[in-house]
Amino acid sequence: MRVKVKPLECTGCALCELACGYHWDEAFSLISSSIMLYRAEEKKGYMGIIVKTGQDLFLGKPEGAEAVKLGELQKSGAGGASAKPILIREACDLCESAGLEPQCVAICPQNALYLE
Amino acid sequence: MDSMYHGDVLIVDLAAGKTEQVDFVEADEAGPGLAAGLALYDRHGDADPLVFGSGLFTGTPVPGACLGFVVGRSPLNGDLAVSPLGMYAGAEMKLSGFSAVVVKGASAKPVYLWLHDGVADLLDASSLSGMDTWQTTDAIRKDMGESLIQVISIGPAGEAKSEAAAFSINYWGSGDSAALGAVMGAKNLKAVALRGLGMLDAEEPEELYNAASELIKSAPAERGFKRICSALGADDIDGWLKPIAHRHRSCFACPSACATFVKYNEPPSVLGSEGVEEPGMLVTSAAAAIWLKDGGWDAEAACRAMEAMARAGVDMLRGARELSAEPLSDASEITVAVKELKGAEEAAWPAGEAIEYGLFGPWVPPLASQDDWLAANRAGYVLGICPTCLLAGGIDTGRLFELCGPAAGIELDPAAVDGMF
Repeated sequence: MRVKVKPLECTGCALCELACGYHWDEAFSLISSSIMLYRAEEKKGYMGIIVKTGQDLFLGKPEGAEAVKLGELQKSGAGGASAKPILIREACDLCESAGLEPQCVAICPQNALYLE
Repeated sequence: MDSMYHGDVLIVDLAAGKTEQVDFVEADEAGPGLAAGLALYDRHGDADPLVFGSGLFTGTPVPGACLGFVVGRSPLNGDLAVSPLGMYAGAEMKLSGFSAVVVKGASAKPVYLWLHDGVADLLDASSLSGMDTWQTTDAIRKDMGESLIQVISIGPAGEAKSEAAAFSINYWGSGDSAALGAVMGAKNLKAVALRGLGMLDAEEPEELYNAASELIKSAPAERGFKRICSALGADDIDGWLKPIAHRHRSCFACPSACATFVKYNEPPSVLGSEGVEEPGMLVTSAAAAIWLKDGGWDAEAACRAMEAMARAGVDMLRGARELSAEPLSDASEITVAVKELKGAEEAAWPAGEAIEYGLFGPWVPPLASQDDWLAANRAGYVLGICPTCLLAGGIDTGRLFELCGPAAGIELDPAAVDGMF
């Protein structure tokens, strides 16, 4: 079971990042979440979502989703340099450590995230 | 106020080229958000400041909690005015490490202010002079090596202190209809760049988070401008934009996605990023789009005009009203027409209730009576919630006020806020 992304449903509100950050820190920020928008190519209107698991990164790119190994983020070209911070963050634990359903999935108002 | 804000107020003396940090006492004395912003303006009013700030919930998962603000004296009428910081700019303002920023006086040479993680750098902007807002945003992001920096900048219109000027947020313009972009130009302040990796603490974080989640779930998650157009009695502009629409975008923490990214330099169906560098425009101003559509403009030409206005740092709302009188289609003619905009038209929505905009300007659509519209603006700018969400998004404003306790350990009386300004 993992969090997966329907990238074209995402509108970039960052509520998933806030929910995940709250899960890890009990505070509100965008610096520690296991899920992050990549919105570095703003002028192109290009935006997707990266989810970090223990084994890989799930890249929800608009043109198609894929999983890449943790060391291959830069090679994949996804997110550019702005996506690097996710490599040093905690991997998604599906919010099991809090005994909750995955909070990013629960809060997403556009139903862009799901479990599979 | 120990929760929901962090850091001090930054005082920037442009004439002296110096910055200092002081305690943020205004939030406790006057109230959070715009209440503190106006108190800061009063405290430093002799120096003709611009005050940048954010609301109580800005940067949290409370629905619509994207809103920051800029307070200044409008060169259009000499009155105090508030212009919004939407998209991600309000949240980055909140997370930048400064609770508010007061920019006093004028610099002898062009400068820009770079705020990041509680550090303020006042940097030479000579190389940015003459650049449009797209070039300025690109240049600052490239120089800092960080593409997520939010850039509040002025273009040629602001540098010329034109009454048509507005500051732009990144590439997409803003709701600044008070010509505060011209005030930035008069100060020789080319841009304010924001990037925050801060963390906001709450008094009772679990209660705040759970309540915010419930509010998100109960709020409509709509896309496009249909809801706003329908409430105004205006024709739907989503259908007009559809042939070039690529996808919808939300502001920070907003369950709905009003803004529409349109592509006219490549097919809107292109999903990857390998195409042209500048495929189109994020349409954020429903009012500007309605003015142009009602003026008989083709959607693509109208979006090119909005791009040109955003690049030039021209107020899109007044500019679209002025441009609506004569539909254009040729790209070079559109560019020339935008350069010649004088800001002569009064900023107003083309449809809806007659509203006296006053302090707040016409950024928020007139979706309600005068009293309800004012109440939404007052609550929105104090709490950091987009007033359009409060008017059209079905968000329980009373519940938001109840959350001031778990957020910051304060009680805010809605009636008192409604009488604040």
